Amino acid sequence: MAEQDEIKVNVKNLNFYYGNYHLLKNINLYFKKNSVCTLLGPSGCGKSTFLRTLNRMNDYTEGAKLTGEVLIDGKNIYDKSVDVVELRRNIGMVFQSPNPFPKSIFDNIAFGLKIHGIKNREFIAERVEKCLRYAGLYDEVKDKLHKSAFSLSGGQQQRLCIARAIATNPSILLMDEPTAYLDPASASIILDLITTFKKYYTIIIVSHNIQQAGRISDYSGFFLDGELIEFDEAGNFFTRPKDKRTENFITSRY
Amino acid sequence: MFNLKYKDDLYKFILSIFVLSVISVFLIAVAVILFYSYPAIIRYGFSFLWVKEWNPPKEVFGALTFLAGTFMVTFLALLFAIPFSFGIGIFLQEYCPLFLRGIFTVIIEMLAGIPSVVFGVWGVLTIVPWLRESVEPFFDRHFSSIPFLKVEENIGYGILAASIVVAFMILPIISSITKDSLESVPKIAKDGALAMGATRLDVIKDVSLPYALNGIYGGIILGFGRAVGETIAVVLLIGNQAIVPKSLFSVGYTISAVLANTFTFAVISPIYASAEVELALILLAVSLIINIVGRNILNKVIGGRFNRSQFGGG
Repeated sequence: MAEQDEIKVNVKNLNFYYGNYHLLKNINLYFKKNSVCTLLGPSGCGKSTFLRTLNRMNDYTEGAKLTGEVLIDGKNIYDKSVDVVELRRNIGMVFQSPNPFPKSIFDNIAFGLKIHGIKNREFIAERVEKCLRYAGLYDEVKDKLHKSAFSLSGGQQQRLCIARAIATNPSILLMDEPTAYLDPASASIILDLITTFKKYYTIIIVSHNIQQAGRISDYSGFFLDGELIEFDEAGNFFTRPKDKRTENFITSRY
Repeated sequence: MFNLKYKDDLYKFILSIFVLSVISVFLIAVAVILFYSYPAIIRYGFSFLWVKEWNPPKEVFGALTFLAGTFMVTFLALLFAIPFSFGIGIFLQEYCPLFLRGIFTVIIEMLAGIPSVVFGVWGVLTIVPWLRESVEPFFDRHFSSIPFLKVEENIGYGILAASIVVAFMILPIISSITKDSLESVPKIAKDGALAMGATRLDVIKDVSLPYALNGIYGGIILGFGRAVGETIAVVLLIGNQAIVPKSLFSVGYTISAVLANTFTFAVISPIYASAEVELALILLAVSLIINIVGRNILNKVIGGRFNRSQFGGG
């Protein structure tokens, strides 16, 4: 068991329902500070749904119901007193396919700052440059910051989305199959980014790709039919899985 | 028997005939209109566009009064309808509970299916008395010094009555297209903004509307097309007098209204008929130009943002 102050996100008895479907069944796990954790499982196993419970993305989904607790820094994010806008500022999210806003490269990153009430132009410009540098994109786009984000390649767009996600200085990064639609070279750049990023963030990634997950994970979890089957340090998870079903999955029998 | 390739060619041939027949009907219609309007075009030249007088017995024909009426009604109808349509479309797509969305959508689409003469009758029975008894006296008391708001004859009929009713007629088109355009915004694009802590309003303003703009613009064009050509409701409401309207409350006339009212008499005199067909030609040209120019402007303005697929490839 990890020390209490090392735990960033602690999920307790989490159940999630959509209409009559019981999509997540009594999930219990925790994520340590500054670690990379991958959540694996076949399509439809609930891993993406789980990821979206961590920043309350299902709030606007009609017919969704949730029980249990998600504690971030010891505070339950489903508590009535929690401000969702503030919560999400602390949690960056990157999606399956690049989803830049229909705006310029600069404004894509400035967006998060602006909606959180930051107006100081110098600060914004500085922050935009810094985030682009972190995401390894600055040199490629520095001469066209005010061009449309759609003019970038798919891999560049995804790095832009990563830069956007860290603009509000979050402490957690959620990534939902961030390399799913990228070519291997672009995917590799993003995996390298993730590895350097754990200095600053607690990173939780949903993945389909066992090789990629093995390469970057500190911890791994395996979801099947809405249940968390196994959760362990990556070393154990990938080489000595305790559960037969995990073993079947990582040896690609699903 | 036919082999597959041969059959395929046969289908292609038959389908091409269908398509060609539509195109040729359009071209024939244009040709006929050009042919019959030719005598008037030759005789009156461009002065047809700015002469105010429309006097069949003296064979003096100028379209200015009808052009002015047509554009005023169209412009005002769009002005009234666009904000409401945006509101309706945004509400239905972004805020309305699911079970009500279906009902509201059906009602709005039914509104689009109501025959225009019914709208006209409704206007005569409700809008005209309301304007005559409440709105016009109010404006007469408070705004009579402003030329564009001056009430000349307190009768209820006129440009404003026609514009309000036409606005109701184009409302369903623009609002349902606004809704559909917003619906087609990829969920992942909206989620991206929500995950940053954006409110729903931020998402609509910064993500959904820019994405949907193309479609919404198309809806406005369609609304314009319907408004500019709307006939029966306007005939019933506008007052049908060939004058250039000076105020919101003036009576007036539109191209389509004068054609509907007088074309059956006009055919008696070749030059009278020709002048009226020239009016039809103008209406046709305006609709075509608006469509073509509108789409081109749109491509130039936002083409840079939209000519790449949103999840652009490698």
